[in-house]
Amino acid sequence: MPIEGRHISYGYPNAPGGVFSDLNFRISGPGFHALFGPSGVGKTTLARMLSGAIKGYAGEMIENEIRRVLYTYNLERLPGWSNVRAHFEEVAPAANLRRMDELIETFDMAEQMGSRFHRLSLGQQNRANLIRYLLQEFDLLIMDESLANVDELTREKIILKVKAIFPERCFLYISHNVAEVAKFCREILVLRSPSKTPQVVSVQGHDQREGAEFHPGRLERAMLEIVHAA
Amino acid sequence: MLHRRFYQFLIIYGLGLGLLLVLKYSLNLSDYVIPSPDEIGRTGRAYAGPYLLAVLNTLGVAILGHILSICLATIVAVIGRLTAWIGSFIRTAAFNIQAYPIVAVAPIIFILLGDGLPSRLLIAAMICYFPLLLSFIGVFSEPVREIEHFYESTGRMTWRLQVKIRAFENIHKLTTVVVGSATMAMVGTIVAEFIAATAGIGYSIRIALYQSDLAKILVALFLVGVGTSLYLVSLEWAGNAIQRRLKSA
Repeated sequence: MPIEGRHISYGYPNAPGGVFSDLNFRISGPGFHALFGPSGVGKTTLARMLSGAIKGYAGEMIENEIRRVLYTYNLERLPGWSNVRAHFEEVAPAANLRRMDELIETFDMAEQMGSRFHRLSLGQQNRANLIRYLLQEFDLLIMDESLANVDELTREKIILKVKAIFPERCFLYISHNVAEVAKFCREILVLRSPSKTPQVVSVQGHDQREGAEFHPGRLERAMLEIVHAA
Repeated sequence: MLHRRFYQFLIIYGLGLGLLLVLKYSLNLSDYVIPSPDEIGRTGRAYAGPYLLAVLNTLGVAILGHILSICLATIVAVIGRLTAWIGSFIRTAAFNIQAYPIVAVAPIIFILLGDGLPSRLLIAAMICYFPLLLSFIGVFSEPVREIEHFYESTGRMTWRLQVKIRAFENIHKLTTVVVGSATMAMVGTIVAEFIAATAGIGYSIRIALYQSDLAKILVALFLVGVGTSLYLVSLEWAGNAIQRRLKSA
């Protein structure tokens, strides 16, 4: 299920300059991929284009076999009228409920299930939000800073587990952490300002998996390539 | 809460009464213009019973009118939320209609409906309806994106859920507006009774005015203040109880 953008150009109405100018990119298939780049370069804009929230751009977005795209970001909140578990049970399709306990354990959220969302810490809030998205049906899940405020060890545990549980799904992880995207992601789309050509550079990451061998050399090379591209 | 609200009213009432007595004794005004404390006391004892019944009558109509306007404002605001055009049209219409003082519209209502309960009820509802509507439209038209995004992107959003989210997120604002408009409902009912009705404390005040009996008016105002304070306290208590229940973990 490749995702491809061809000759994408876009600018926000009444804003000086365009965000994208003849942008081309390709994500080859399922897996954990990343969208990386400095703040304001258009990562969220591209993510919202992929999710269908932004239309009216020039060029072509090809999302073969991707029927359901979900976009989640780190400022989302769960409604406050029920506790976290009740909310999960309410919004998860029946077929996916079996995964709930496994995700709760992986995300280290068991103790918070009886609490209301506003009582959780920022990191717990982001984890709770991501769990409910993982309980949905999707082909591509775009995670815009979804693990912000989560400690490094828990983030690593979560990403490895998500990769293990959903090997056939496509993830696009937006992060500013070079080491993290280089270590866990398969393809990293490094987004650059419109003045640079090409505007997107694709870098192969280490794509670390649960139980797989770790190659420090590959990680270092990926990190260098990302920094160089950015 | 009741004590605070009641003490506040007593302080304001006492200040007003004190000012009148200062005027009376400093300008040497007769009891006919401003009655003496003795006369106010005697009038209070004589008329407290019938005036209390009149205040309860007025309060009943005000509460009914208030409930009516809350229901109507909710329905119109929920409809107004559907499209930007309808919301904008309702908001503009509400602003324009609100610009007409209810006292100017009240005679038309009395001519059309007579001086019975429907006129009092309608005027009470109208006077607090438009401020309620403007606030409700503001609340129900404003998306809570960080909560609604999930339901929209997963195709679960319904109009009921949208209204529930927006009401829940703005429950404090809604409660404040409802409590604030209660005073206006009471004022609207008294104005209606004062203009043309044949019952309620507004009607009693009009009779006292024709008799140039300031003592009766002062007693009536005292009881109106007590009744309004009790109603406001009840609403504040109910609003706080709802908020506590909704937000408790």
